[in-house]
Amino acid sequence: MSAAAAVAGSGASSSASGGGDEEAEITYVSYGGEHHLPLVMSLVDAELSEPYSIFTYRYFVYLWPQLTFLAFDAKDGKCVGTVVCKMGEHRGAFRGYIAMLVVLKPYRGKGIATELVTRSIRAMMESGCEEVTLEAEVTNKGALALYGRLGFIRAKRLYRYYLNGVDAFRLKLLFPRPDPGFPPIIGSDRDDQHMDSPYL
Amino acid sequence: MIKAEKSLEKTVLSHTGRNDPNRASAARLRPPLPPPPRLPSPTPNPLRRHRRGQAARPIPRLLFQISRHCGCPFARFSSMESSSSSSSPPPAIPTCSDQGVWADASPLLAAACRDLEDGELVHGENFSLFAAMSALEIMDPKMDSGSERSGYNSIEEAIEDGVAPIPLSLDRTLDVQRSIDVMDHLFSCEATWHKGHTLAQTVFTCIYLMRMERTSSHAVLNSFCRVLRATCNAVICVVSTARTHEEEDLFTMSFGLPLKDEWDEKCLSILNSVEETISRQLRACKAQALSKKKTLEGLESLQDNPDLEEDYCRALLCRLRFRKHFHHVVTCMRKPHGRGLELARKHIASCLTELSLMLKSQAFLKSQSNITLQGDENCTTASGSQPVGFDVSLNSRLLSPTPPRAVKVLSWSDAIRYFEKLLHDLDVICASSVGPVLENVLHFIVQFQKSVPDLVPRAFLQTLLVQDGKLYGQYLFSDVISRALSLPAIIGDKEFQMNEFVVQLGQLVVNLLKIICTNTAWQRRKLGKSLQDWSTISIQLELALKREFGETRNDIHHENICIRVSKQLIIWTQEHAYWVASRFLILGFELDLYSPGEYCMVYWYMYVVFTKLIEKIQLRVLAISENSRRKGKKKKDHSKDSTRDRDTSFSSSCLLLQCYVLLSEGLSMMLAVLRNESRSFQLPSIFNTERERFIQHFDLLLKAQIPEHISYYSFKESASRACITDLVKYNFFKETQKIIPSLRGSFANEPEKLAELRRIEQVAEHNRIALNIINQVGAGDPSLKVSFEFTHHPHFAVAIVKRS
Repeated sequence: MSAAAAVAGSGASSSASGGGDEEAEITYVSYGGEHHLPLVMSLVDAELSEPYSIFTYRYFVYLWPQLTFLAFDAKDGKCVGTVVCKMGEHRGAFRGYIAMLVVLKPYRGKGIATELVTRSIRAMMESGCEEVTLEAEVTNKGALALYGRLGFIRAKRLYRYYLNGVDAFRLKLLFPRPDPGFPPIIGSDRDDQHMDSPYL
Repeated sequence: MIKAEKSLEKTVLSHTGRNDPNRASAARLRPPLPPPPRLPSPTPNPLRRHRRGQAARPIPRLLFQISRHCGCPFARFSSMESSSSSSSPPPAIPTCSDQGVWADASPLLAAACRDLEDGELVHGENFSLFAAMSALEIMDPKMDSGSERSGYNSIEEAIEDGVAPIPLSLDRTLDVQRSIDVMDHLFSCEATWHKGHTLAQTVFTCIYLMRMERTSSHAVLNSFCRVLRATCNAVICVVSTARTHEEEDLFTMSFGLPLKDEWDEKCLSILNSVEETISRQLRACKAQALSKKKTLEGLESLQDNPDLEEDYCRALLCRLRFRKHFHHVVTCMRKPHGRGLELARKHIASCLTELSLMLKSQAFLKSQSNITLQGDENCTTASGSQPVGFDVSLNSRLLSPTPPRAVKVLSWSDAIRYFEKLLHDLDVICASSVGPVLENVLHFIVQFQKSVPDLVPRAFLQTLLVQDGKLYGQYLFSDVISRALSLPAIIGDKEFQMNEFVVQLGQLVVNLLKIICTNTAWQRRKLGKSLQDWSTISIQLELALKREFGETRNDIHHENICIRVSKQLIIWTQEHAYWVASRFLILGFELDLYSPGEYCMVYWYMYVVFTKLIEKIQLRVLAISENSRRKGKKKKDHSKDSTRDRDTSFSSSCLLLQCYVLLSEGLSMMLAVLRNESRSFQLPSIFNTERERFIQHFDLLLKAQIPEHISYYSFKESASRACITDLVKYNFFKETQKIIPSLRGSFANEPEKLAELRRIEQVAEHNRIALNIINQVGAGDPSLKVSFEFTHHPHFAVAIVKRS
């Protein structure tokens, strides 16, 4: 699988969305192999505060390459952003997980991160995930706004979660599913439980 | 981003291979790249970083390096080992013995590397996914705690190099000065430890503490360090006892640290004698100053400069005395059944006095040091000088095999502030006299948590509340429950105590008390999880009641005491389920979990839960008054007064809750109106809708059916019907304002409740005004910009209206 084929096959290029003052044309590609790994690693290593071992990166990109995306500045071929994800069974639900999301500082505010995340989420949705989850520092306003706009809720707060002592939010996105009780009889969508209780 | 540090309690998501066609091909990815260059001989420096992305790694070199440079025990390479709490130092790498010979595996591994293609992995059966995720890269300072080196390979080496001299200086004045700096830095380290770091990276970065026996010739330092260490040990015991979850793990970790020895029993008496000596010296100074003599006679002076003697004596004394009194605070508060609380308060007061004297000493100490840094708020000593005798990296190998946490020692002034707050929090705990009434205990804890106490005071509170499975170590929880049901006849009744439901409920109460003593983030998660337990017990009680006695009318006036007790127990359980639910919802605001587009549904749910809570309380009050009626007029005024007091307190609690109901309903409706008419506060709907967000936020409540028959559609229907005319007609905010004056009378003696009334009054007033404006201008008017801020109350927002 060559790099070019990877672009044509799964990634599909697109122009930058969002208004920055510079017209940066951004190409999005799906993870194509070992040659992408150092790009992902150096981006994450430079921008995120948590340290990851080589094993961590390989664990994600080898098992779920279709969920890792890279963004390139078409002008100079520089890798400017990446998203790394996984999905799997978790407590009876098939769930996607966004492990890392990075965009270089000069390229922020152009919707690149949103595009990367959206592609991953779509891939997860198409693979049958019921929900998507991730953690983000409570101080990371940009990330929180991004995910909020996509429909994630702040499900939990995790005290002093990261090594730098910062709290984290666990963000969750639940995909719509067909509702068994719809249209509901007013007051009850739990007909299967015949509870005769003076509870109400 | 994903957290790097994996605790052993977490399980890694296992992939079932579903939708994983790429897995088989992963090992065969072969990008057309030239083979990576041969790597130079690795040294522990940043050069290493650039090699990360390349497939062929110098594995044989690394393994070899572990035995030579790191000196880490091999066990650290595997992440499966949990941090142990043994007090013996870690074993060194074994030298060649009859058990085996060391052989250089480099050629073998080099050959294996050459065999691998780019992108290929060797996967061992026993190297699980969890191990892969938890693996660390040795020598990477971001991940390897042991790789940041100070240059010393051991404490002995550092000592030989003169890092921690005894005495601290041959010049006695300098010796005193430096001792004070050591004490101050230890003080700052102690506060840093309390705030959420390990002992090894804070207090025990002090070589004097790590080799206590060396200080025996230096009375001042020795006594100070001993008492400090004994106090640390005692505090660890308290936090360990209160242990509920991982927050305490970092705090209590003490692997490899010398936390006690046989002299510790006497540490206070050693300190006392040192204190006595310096105290006498101080008196001599003052006497001499009055008599205007030129030399210090009689007692041996502390140091050689007579002009500085008095100030140095004072500076030392307040520090030693703080240490002593703080140790007493901890000891007294640990006494069972709260026996030492009153004495603890006296020592707390003394601590605060000594702290203020420590602050006073700063001017003198600064003037004596050579540091000309003005206003450097980051210095960890009063004088501003760096202390001798500390090394931050010597203990790095004692830390657990996880990436290192950043530790920044608190400044000395911040440490003083920390201890002041700590002492005030402890004082509040000691002064509390809530007795065995559960409602009061719950209310006290909620109130206490408003000041955001740290781990140490929270641990003390929890250990005081729950001892030996009893409230305050004295009251059986079954008795606490029967007291809550106001059935004095069954307090102490063996059958009631042994009843399986009562036992389970007692356990739920214990868990609840422990949960609400933890940090709010963890607290909310656990409260949410506990809802199912409360709900289940309530349902089981009802089923059991039906089984035992058949269908009875929902009548608490029934003759049969068993039926009455059972029914009351059910109501009590349901009441607490709703109380837990209300706390769960409210804490979401404190933790900033809700976005403005979600306030509408949150307030709606709060309105529902508060309404049910009031209902259950009123049922309980009804049952209680029924009990009193049955008891007859045997008891005299005393019980009547207490009945009346209790009734008043119930009715004022209900009235306050009624205010909450009104505010919640008003806010929810206002938000719904704004959304319906101006399309503001909408939620995005790219991947999901409001329904999914509702389900997620209230999942635990919905699953536990607290309350029943609530669904997204109940909310949706209610919200879509909201209109400005109804909002104005019912005017919830004005109704709230009507209730408040009567409550002010009932709460006259309770300052926190009065403060709460003031806050909700502000909320009601501002929202009433905002509503008027919205009504006049028209909710759909495009010039209207409404935002909701928590300016007057942490849970109830205030609408801020702007016209553009």
